[in-house]
Amino acid sequence: MIFAQLFANGLIAGAIYSLVALGFSLIYSTCNFIDFAHGVTVAVGAYLLYFFFSLLGLNFWLSVILTIIFTGLFGLLLNIVVFKELRRRKASNLILLTASFALLIIFESLILILFGADVKTIGYIQVSRGLDILGAIITPLQIIIIIVSFLLLVIFFFFMKKSKIGKAMRAVSDNKDVAEIVGISAERIYNWSFFIGSAVAGIGGILVGLDQNLVPTMGTGLMIKGFAAAIIGGIGSPIGAVLGSYLLGFGENFGIWYLPSGYKDAIAFVILFIFLLLRPQGILGKKK
Amino acid sequence: MFLAYLISILILAAIGIILAVSLQLTVGFTGLLNLGHLAFYAIGAYTSALLALAGYPFWFCILTAGVLAMFFGFLISLPINKIKKDYLALATMGFSFVVYAVLLNWTDLTNGPLGLAGIPRPQLFGFDFSQNSNFLLLVAIIALASYLIIKLITISPFGRVLESIRDNELAAKILGKNTFKMKMCAMGASAFFAGVAGSLYAYYITYLDPSSADIMQLIPFLAIVIIGGLGSLEGTVVAAIVLTFLPEPLRFIGFPSSIIGAARQVIYALFLLLILIFKPKGFYGKVKLE
Amino acid sequence: MINLEIKKLNKHFGGVKAVDDCSFEIEKGSITALIGPNGAGKSTVFNLISGIIEADSGNIVFSDRDIVGLSPDKISNLGFSRIFQASSLFDNLTVENNLFLAFDNEDTKFWKNLLGFNKATKIKKEKVKEMLDLVDMEKFRKNPAGDLSFGQKRLIELIRAIINPHSILMLDEPVAGVSPRLREKISKILLKLKEEGETILLIEHDMDFTLNMADKVIVMEKGIVIAEGSPEHIKNNRKVLEAYLGE
Repeated sequence: MIFAQLFANGLIAGAIYSLVALGFSLIYSTCNFIDFAHGVTVAVGAYLLYFFFSLLGLNFWLSVILTIIFTGLFGLLLNIVVFKELRRRKASNLILLTASFALLIIFESLILILFGADVKTIGYIQVSRGLDILGAIITPLQIIIIIVSFLLLVIFFFFMKKSKIGKAMRAVSDNKDVAEIVGISAERIYNWSFFIGSAVAGIGGILVGLDQNLVPTMGTGLMIKGFAAAIIGGIGSPIGAVLGSYLLGFGENFGIWYLPSGYKDAIAFVILFIFLLLRPQGILGKKK
Repeated sequence: MFLAYLISILILAAIGIILAVSLQLTVGFTGLLNLGHLAFYAIGAYTSALLALAGYPFWFCILTAGVLAMFFGFLISLPINKIKKDYLALATMGFSFVVYAVLLNWTDLTNGPLGLAGIPRPQLFGFDFSQNSNFLLLVAIIALASYLIIKLITISPFGRVLESIRDNELAAKILGKNTFKMKMCAMGASAFFAGVAGSLYAYYITYLDPSSADIMQLIPFLAIVIIGGLGSLEGTVVAAIVLTFLPEPLRFIGFPSSIIGAARQVIYALFLLLILIFKPKGFYGKVKLE
Repeated sequence: MINLEIKKLNKHFGGVKAVDDCSFEIEKGSITALIGPNGAGKSTVFNLISGIIEADSGNIVFSDRDIVGLSPDKISNLGFSRIFQASSLFDNLTVENNLFLAFDNEDTKFWKNLLGFNKATKIKKEKVKEMLDLVDMEKFRKNPAGDLSFGQKRLIELIRAIINPHSILMLDEPVAGVSPRLREKISKILLKLKEEGETILLIEHDMDFTLNMADKVIVMEKGIVIAEGSPEHIKNNRKVLEAYLGE
């Protein structure tokens, strides 16, 4: 059945977008600028796994753990080397955004130079026959993607609600000045946001990398979708980011019922544009 | 041989000047971070190419290219009043993606990834511009005209209002300025010239594929605008010429061609990043970025 | 004659009632002062009148027209001019250009400006010179506004608001943080404006300044108007003394 298949595809897309959206939303709400480098972080995740597992031949699970840690460190490094330096010079959020755009281009190009422009596959999970669930064909890996994404969201919410760092992050995003008065170092929270947000993006990169092929520009499209999802859901609300991601995933996949599949990217943007026009604060966002 | 090479780079530099000064109008003068500039450029290029292939004359193609790009510039600025400044960057970047997707997939019109080939070189008042040296003259004249018109906009009281919006939009509103209309005009005018630049590119290169709308290609122009200095048209022109020549030596070092493109992007982006950190006013700019 | 009438104006932010059923009137040709402790809702009232934020309920009636829901630029063009608490100059433009922007909206017409039909007239140039002379800042004409000192910025903002065509001038703390000498200068300018028949709505913390200047004082606390009347009347109002002057 087409409906069931499109529904399943929407679910998978939503699961992947939500990982990108979550990291983006976290960085945006604490650091208060749109971090375009988040897109290349996803690609860095996928290529690191390719590097550790396919090129170095390390054990798969070790490769996954190394990838997550190194992707987190990659984000942290960008924050310390570039963004912190810019903030110290009192750069506006538009400058931080421009810098992050430059970083996106730099690292996408570097990946291309190091690994080549050709398509790479990680090939850990052999292309297996998909399972037939209610008429939709889903590969086991795709089921894993949905489960991992869901689990990660649950962990993320608990982390933000219960952990000391999570609470401090929410305090900084609510009001940075007040947070600093009660002794929270904003710079430290920025570091944590970048580390955690990038690690989550890295997990997204791993899952996408296992499910699909690797190309250097793979992150940019995902990033646009993830950002759009976060805005549609309501910036600063992690639940909103997840909601927006699934809305976008379903919207795209049911949209190609009517349109050629190449227009998928366009559908996401049209949904975003409609929201910016009619409800710029997003589904769950509060009107200022 | 060397002269022919020089002429081809100068043509690209002149087209780059049109693109960069029009981007400066939105980014530097109005404070709108417009990352969709290449979408307008691609719309202009394809419009012009399709019309030229259908046999329409040069002046008609280039003007229609500009006007259609302008129309999309107006369209994209519709939500501009409701959204935060940084969302505009995202919206325009998303727009770039859509245009790219449409160019790639609307195969009946654009011939998809195969692109449009055999775009004829322009003829005007009996002059034939199929020779690169003649074409350079044409492009240079149009670049000069574009520069002068944008200069005229920015030094007029209209440009002063644009700059006031960049500095403090709320204060401009409180003085009674309809800032929504102003920002829309800036986006429209900027898109018009991007469309004109696209048209010239299509005529020059004679073969067009969707990669002209690739968001990656924006980085050199963004770099030019920031390095030249926000709010400085003269700086933009100098930067456009310098940055067009800058990566040329890469060609002669013997890198494989697939890497040259990427290496060029790295150079531009790295240069942009260093300027943002160490010389935020650019080389000629008067405007502080804070 | 009543020029501006605020009727049962309400605005809340989250759970906080910033402006609570506020009503008052402003007479033409008078100086009305809005006073009250920090967080009393004075600036919110200003922002509601300017259309920067929209009221939850209530009316703001200006020459028989309810202006609630209009955009800030439309409200400005109906005849409102104001200064903000924080500097709102265009920092990268020269002092002179900051002032030229205030005259009219001819400069928002694309073709008229592009074709050069909107030259700075002699009248405008003279007005700019006159206003700069008034505050002794003629020699800073060509300086970027961002390079001025705090006090100089306040003066330029004040004269920019005066140049901006208006029938009501709204001043949000015009003398806060300026030197005593400058305060004297500003109060002289305001009194001169009053003589010329200007209608002024003023927020100010400095009690001496306010009570000497105003014809009518409106006291707010926690979003509510707790007293209004002549300065004499306010000085002796027990409620006001408790709420505000007591400490």
